[in-house]
Amino acid sequence: MASRTPPAPAPPPRLLLCALAWFVPGAGHLWLGRRRAGLVFLVTLPLMFGVGLWLEGRLFPFELLDPLVGLAAVADLLAGLPYVAARLLGWGDGQAAAATYEYGNAFLITAGLLNTLAVMDAQDILAGRK
Amino acid sequence: MNTTSHLLVMVLYACLVGVVGGTLLKETLAEQVRAAASIAGGLLGGALVIGWVLYAFPL
Repeated sequence: MASRTPPAPAPPPRLLLCALAWFVPGAGHLWLGRRRAGLVFLVTLPLMFGVGLWLEGRLFPFELLDPLVGLAAVADLLAGLPYVAARLLGWGDGQAAAATYEYGNAFLITAGLLNTLAVMDAQDILAGRK
Repeated sequence: MNTTSHLLVMVLYACLVGVVGGTLLKETLAEQVRAAASIAGGLLGGALVIGWVLYAFPL
């Protein structure tokens, strides 16, 4: 008599996975069982965002008339929960006179962009492309 | 923040980007470590080379 294998768990809905992976960096990978990658993103990306704030970086406003500022604002937003928390706490005013201001901005923007790559990676894993 | 070292900030940035990049690009731990080191080294080396090149062209 052939043995029956238990049915594989249903994959998570793609939109929900992407939303969660955006909001909590690394959560998408953790949900898909990629524990090491998930933990790396969970630690590294908020750390990077936090360093950006510490270095007096600015959370840019959504300025439609200044495309570069608007794009930087989108990149900041892509960091997910760290961005929301910083906004709620009133952090990220930025000190343009500080020597580390541009470094801070680089850290903040890069954290958001890398989180976007992590979201896309989680989607690729879900789709079976990785 | 005046005491923050530019080089230290650059090293930290390169290391963090390298770790995330290596994790995204490779599957096994050994490959990820190698890729992370390559990315971080490339960022640091590139920055130093560009810095020295620009040294000849003061603003």
